[in-house]
Amino acid sequence: MKEFFHRKIERNAIGFVVAIVAVASIGGFMEIAPLFTIQETVEEVPDMRTYTPLELAGRNIYIREGCYACHSQMIRTLRDEVERYGPYSLAVESKYDHPMLWGSKRTGPDLARLGEKYSDAWHVAHLINPRDVVPESVMPKYGWLMRNELKIDDLGEHIAAQQTVGVPYTQEMVENAVQDARGQATPDTDAAAGVAQRYGDATHVRAFDGDPSRLTEMDALVAYLQILGKLTDKAYQQAATAEVQ
Amino acid sequence: MVSQLTTSERQYALVTLLLLGLGGLAMAAMGRGDPIAVHGYIVLLFAIGLSFVVMAGYYAPEPDKERLSRYYDDPTRVGIVLSIAWAVVGMFVGVWVAALLAWPDLTFDQAWASFGRLRPVHTSGVIFGFGGNALIATSFHVLQRTTRARLPGQFAPWFVLLGYNLFCVVAASGYLIGVTQSKEYAEPEWYADIWLVVVWVTYFLIYLRTLARRKEPHIYVANWYYMAFILVVAMLHIVNNIAVPISWGSAKSYSVYSGVQDAMVQWWYGHNAVAFFLTAGFLGMMYYYMPKRAGRPIFSYRLSIISFWGITFFYMWAGSHHLHYTALPQWVQTLGMTFSVMLLVPSWASAGNALATLNGAWHKVRDDATLRFMMVAAVFYGLSTFEGSFMAIRPVNSLSHYTDWTVGHVHAGALGWVAMITFGSIYALVPWMWKREAMYSPKLIEVHFWLALSGTIVYVFAMWNSGIIQGLMWRTYNESGSLTYSFIDSLVAMHPYYIARAFGGLLFLLGAIVAAYNVWMTIRQSKLEAAQGKEDADIPLFARDAVQAGE
Amino acid sequence: MDFDHDTLVALSKSWGLFYLLAMSAAVMVYALWPSNRKRFTHAKMSILDNDDKPLE
Repeated sequence: MKEFFHRKIERNAIGFVVAIVAVASIGGFMEIAPLFTIQETVEEVPDMRTYTPLELAGRNIYIREGCYACHSQMIRTLRDEVERYGPYSLAVESKYDHPMLWGSKRTGPDLARLGEKYSDAWHVAHLINPRDVVPESVMPKYGWLMRNELKIDDLGEHIAAQQTVGVPYTQEMVENAVQDARGQATPDTDAAAGVAQRYGDATHVRAFDGDPSRLTEMDALVAYLQILGKLTDKAYQQAATAEVQ
Repeated sequence: MVSQLTTSERQYALVTLLLLGLGGLAMAAMGRGDPIAVHGYIVLLFAIGLSFVVMAGYYAPEPDKERLSRYYDDPTRVGIVLSIAWAVVGMFVGVWVAALLAWPDLTFDQAWASFGRLRPVHTSGVIFGFGGNALIATSFHVLQRTTRARLPGQFAPWFVLLGYNLFCVVAASGYLIGVTQSKEYAEPEWYADIWLVVVWVTYFLIYLRTLARRKEPHIYVANWYYMAFILVVAMLHIVNNIAVPISWGSAKSYSVYSGVQDAMVQWWYGHNAVAFFLTAGFLGMMYYYMPKRAGRPIFSYRLSIISFWGITFFYMWAGSHHLHYTALPQWVQTLGMTFSVMLLVPSWASAGNALATLNGAWHKVRDDATLRFMMVAAVFYGLSTFEGSFMAIRPVNSLSHYTDWTVGHVHAGALGWVAMITFGSIYALVPWMWKREAMYSPKLIEVHFWLALSGTIVYVFAMWNSGIIQGLMWRTYNESGSLTYSFIDSLVAMHPYYIARAFGGLLFLLGAIVAAYNVWMTIRQSKLEAAQGKEDADIPLFARDAVQAGE
Repeated sequence: MDFDHDTLVALSKSWGLFYLLAMSAAVMVYALWPSNRKRFTHAKMSILDNDDKPLE
């Protein structure tokens, strides 16, 4: 019986193909299937907000420049990492990250809790020439971020695509994406007020690159870097509770 | 080469190129102001260029029926040349990015030359360009020899080979202009991914159709590995790359997965790309070319079957060891660790099987650098699979993860195993394909061998050292219970190792350049003699004693 | 989809193991089945032939 079956598998290449697919896919499926229901185990975090259009544009620059190749955004549950970088990363914190940027290598330090650790001016100087600020750094210079105007005309499409993959943006956010991107980097305007109204009062509204008259790629990237780890303070709350106990 | 296509195949080729050109035009038109337009023009140029080639040979006489009593090796020949070309380019960029970590100002303030953009050019260039072309070229060769059947047609193999290279070009040029999904080893954007699926399905169909025509009752084990490579890579590629483009005229897309789910899918992909692209495919290469070159059958055929299913099965579960101590649920981490450790069994069975095959042929290994390449590859395969299982253990991983140790491990596998088995196979295959007794210069193979081996050793030792030092510095506490070193302290400590690493990589690159020269000269010699009419049609090359030619 | 997370995890943990055992058994039986020996020996020797032509 067995013998007959194997001979058949071998005679017929299709059978062999099915065998390989079955053997190979079941492993992956068993591991991944439970992850599709994992939101059941992730705690509810009502204060979790989405990226603003400007921050999303900054995130896309972070991706474009390959920052993830040298910087992780995932603090592991190890004592030295928590002491060096801050509370360990929670699953919920990258819930809206399509794709995630956990990274796999730390040629530079972890950035999961970078937000508000340094001033905007520090980031701008550091991105223009890292060695002006940290003499030993081996990070490339990103001077063109300051020179390039930020492309914002298609941000509505970006937010709509994010909506499609499941990020809870409202229709109003899609429609105002372009205006919100400009508003977040030009404080004290009507557009700026709209950002705060749609994304919360805690949203940073300022001229990130120091120049409110232009909207540059630097504005977007710094806006993104300043929000890292700040979409929810769940991780800090959890760390604080642990300390009390 | 067009003369080997039948008239109807030439027509297929032209129609395909026309459609491809129109596709490129559409991308260029719809994506005005977006990087996708650049890719549109690249696709268009590619299609136009190839149409000229087809048109030039369009009115050549049809190939005779006689061709059906020979194997179809033209795509293999071109594949070998492309593979070597990508090796030189990919490794050159590798040395460059390595140098950037020691001398960061080598970017010349150009966006395209920064580390983050060049690094995927290096990884894709060597993995997909060099490795992928070598796999496609050798798989066509092995498939025909082991099934004793000619490829079913002359057009489809070209479609696969050239279509695949179009994918590679679009991928590499995309990174330079900032088009990337950020998923490691799956960086190309949605349109390149869709194109690769089309190419890959054709590749798979060629395999199936040739197997269906086979004259040998049993499918030789090398083909199992090639098949697993084709099938599983298709699965991984499709699942990991599902994304929503923001519009048809934009290169940008958003993955449907997010957060922890995306991390798992990505590393399920990432680890199995190692398994089925960089291991299964190259094991297929090894199971054919090594016995062939040594003139001895594989030590245990049964063992090769058992290890085949072991590798196919266990690897699939191992991906989560990339996510130890992260926000991934712990049971998935434990599962990944367990299977990674079990994976050592089929891996060492394969490595042992390869080395045992050489038992009794050690004098050939001593004299023939080509066979020595394959032997060293098997040793490095054994070493790096052991290291991989070791690093997948959670506490070990807590030290090694995020450090250069991982980079060292990857390169022990990539340089020591993948590149060495490929170069060995290429050196065995080139004289066979161009009807020569041996390579142009056996001496240069010897030179390449020592460059490659010393380059690998320098590289791997540098990265082991830097990785372990880095990992230890990050977790060292002083007496008062606070961290001793700042991050920048650990970076400063890396500097000498980064220089050593760039040097090791440079040696390896020099070896690849030597190989390119040697292959080029072998082909040239073959062409010269053919022109002089000295062509002896069917030398039974690769004979069991061809090895002596190296002396 | 009515599967909740725990069911899927339990399924993965239990059936995964059975599947592994059954798989290994099937492969071992196949590889070691006595009558397959001839075929395997033929396969491993046949690649060493120097006849570089398709069989008609």
